[in-house]
Amino acid sequence: MLAYAAVRAHALAGLLVALGALGGVLLLAVLLRGLEELLAWALAVLALVYVVSVVVDTSRVDDAAPLVATALLLCGELAAWSLDARWRIAAEGSLVRRRAVALTGLALGGLTASALVIASAATRPGRGLAWTTLGAAAAVGVIGIAVAALRRST
Amino acid sequence: MTRHSSPRLAGYASLAGLGLIAGLAAGRVELVALAAPFALAALVGAMLGRVPHTEATLSLDRDRALEGDEAVATIALSSSPGIDRLELLLPLPGELAAATPNPRALVLPAGDPRTLELPIRCERWGAFRLGPVLLRARDVLGFHAWESEGGEPQPLLVYPSVETLRGLLPPLETQVFVGNQVSRAHGDGIEFADVREWVPGDRVRRINWRASARRRELWVNEQHPERNTDVVLFLDTFAEVRVRGRGTHDLAVRAATSLAHRYLQRKDRVGLVSFGGFLSWLLPTSGTLQLYKIVDSLLQTDIVLTFASREVDVLPPRSLPPKALVIALTPLLDPRSAGALLDLRARGFDLVVVEVSPLEFVQPGPDELSRLSYRIWKLSREARRARYESAGVPVVEWHEGVPLAVPLEEVGAYRRYARPARA
Repeated sequence: MLAYAAVRAHALAGLLVALGALGGVLLLAVLLRGLEELLAWALAVLALVYVVSVVVDTSRVDDAAPLVATALLLCGELAAWSLDARWRIAAEGSLVRRRAVALTGLALGGLTASALVIASAATRPGRGLAWTTLGAAAAVGVIGIAVAALRRST
Repeated sequence: MTRHSSPRLAGYASLAGLGLIAGLAAGRVELVALAAPFALAALVGAMLGRVPHTEATLSLDRDRALEGDEAVATIALSSSPGIDRLELLLPLPGELAAATPNPRALVLPAGDPRTLELPIRCERWGAFRLGPVLLRARDVLGFHAWESEGGEPQPLLVYPSVETLRGLLPPLETQVFVGNQVSRAHGDGIEFADVREWVPGDRVRRINWRASARRRELWVNEQHPERNTDVVLFLDTFAEVRVRGRGTHDLAVRAATSLAHRYLQRKDRVGLVSFGGFLSWLLPTSGTLQLYKIVDSLLQTDIVLTFASREVDVLPPRSLPPKALVIALTPLLDPRSAGALLDLRARGFDLVVVEVSPLEFVQPGPDELSRLSYRIWKLSREARRARYESAGVPVVEWHEGVPLAVPLEEVGAYRRYARPARA
C-alpha cells in the first residue's frame, strides 16, 4: 500500500515513507506490547498515507480504494486476532475456523460496501426523483440499522 | 457479569467517521470508500454485542484424595442463545495441577449443553476449595467479552501420603487399658516376665510346676500385660524453612500423619498439639475417626508468624495425659517451642524430639559474612540440641528423603543404652 501510494504521489514519496514507517512502528508496538488501544492509531496513520496520495493526485477516482480499505481492515483484524492468540488458551479447532470464516465474510462485506461507494460515484447526479428517493431511503436505512444495532447491544 | 468491549470497536467507528467527514470536506469518494469497511465492521461489532446467558455447574468426583491421586472436576455448561467463544478457567492453587489444558476455549451452541471433565493431579496435601469457574464469553470476532463466574465452590481435602512404618517407638510407661504394647509392669498377659512365690489368691494355672518342683514350694509365673499407650504428636508451627514448594512443615505433617496412622492401627490413643502462632489440639482418642480428625486438623495447620510468647500452660491438661509419649516434630528454629518442650520434659513427660532438618533447604551465601552467619546458625542449633540431651531427651535428626523409620530406630537405640533422666 505504501509503494502504491508513493507511486501515485511520487513528489511526496519521502513524507509518505516517513508516515508509513511511523504506522509500521505503531503496529509493531501494538503487536509486541499488546497495546490494542493503539491499533486504531496505527491504522489511522497507515490510512493517512493513502489519503495524502489521493488528495495530491486529483486526476481520477482511484478504483483501488476498496482494496486498500479492505487491506487496512484486514490488517487491523489480523492484528487483533494475533493479540487474542497471545493468551495460552487451548482452543478447539472449530473456533479458529469460525473466526476465519467470520473475518473473510467481514472483509468481503467491506470490499463490497467500498466497491459500491466507488461505483456510486460513477452515477451522474440529477438522474431524477427515483434515484434521489433511493439514496435517501438507503441513508435512512443505514442510520436505522446502526441505531437498532446499538440498542440491541445495550 | 462484567462487560468489556475491544478498543478497536471505537477505533473503527472513529476511523469511519473521520473518513466520511474527510471525504465530504475533500470531495473525494475514495475517502468514503476507505471508511466504508470500517463502518461496516463497527456496525457488525455493535450487532454482535448481545448479552449471553451462561449457566455453569461444577462438581468433583470426590471430596477426599491422597497425594498423587487424580480428582476429576466436571463442568456442565449451557447457554440458551449460544456463545461463539467461551473461555473458561478453573483457578487451581499451586498444590493442584490440571492434567489437561486449563484454561480452554470452546463453542457453546444454543440449546446444546456441554460437559467438560478436567482431571486434577493432587501434588501436595492441603484443604482446598475449588471454584467457582471463571467464564468469559466472546463474540466470534472478539469485539466484546462478558466475564462471569459459575458453579459453587467444591471442597477437596488432599491427605498426605502415609509412610509405611514397621516399628514404632515404645513409650516408657503404658496406660491402664488393654492394647498391643507389652507393658514393663507385671500382671496378666502373654509375654513371660518372671517367677515369684505363690501367694493366696494366685490361680492354679499360673503355677510354674518345674520351678516349684525344684524349690519344693509353689512358684507362679508372671507376665507382662498388653496395654495401650497415649501418644501426643506435638507439631511445632512457629516457623519453617520453605524453598520452591518444599519445606520443613510439609515433612512434619507427613511424619505426623504416618505416626498417627500407625499408632491408631495399634489401638493406641493418639492426640495432636499444633503449637505455634495458631494453637490447636485434639484430645487423645483411638479409632479411625480420630485418624480422620487428626489428618483434617493437620491439613488446617499453617505457619503463622507471631511474636507472642507461648507456654504449655495454655494447653488444656487433658490434651497431655500423664504417662503419654510426646513425639515432637520440630525444625528447632524457634526458641519458644524449645522452651515449651523442655517444660514438658520437666513435668515428667516421656518426650522424644524428631528434628525435621531445615539444612537441606538453606544454603550459605557466597560471601564470607554469609558463610560465617550460616556456621553460627548451625552452632546455635547444636546448642539447642545439647540442651535437650542434657535434659535426657532423645533428639534425632530427620532429613528429607530419609525414611521416618530411621530416626525412630535411632531413638530406640538411644533408649536401649540410656536411662531416662528424672528432671
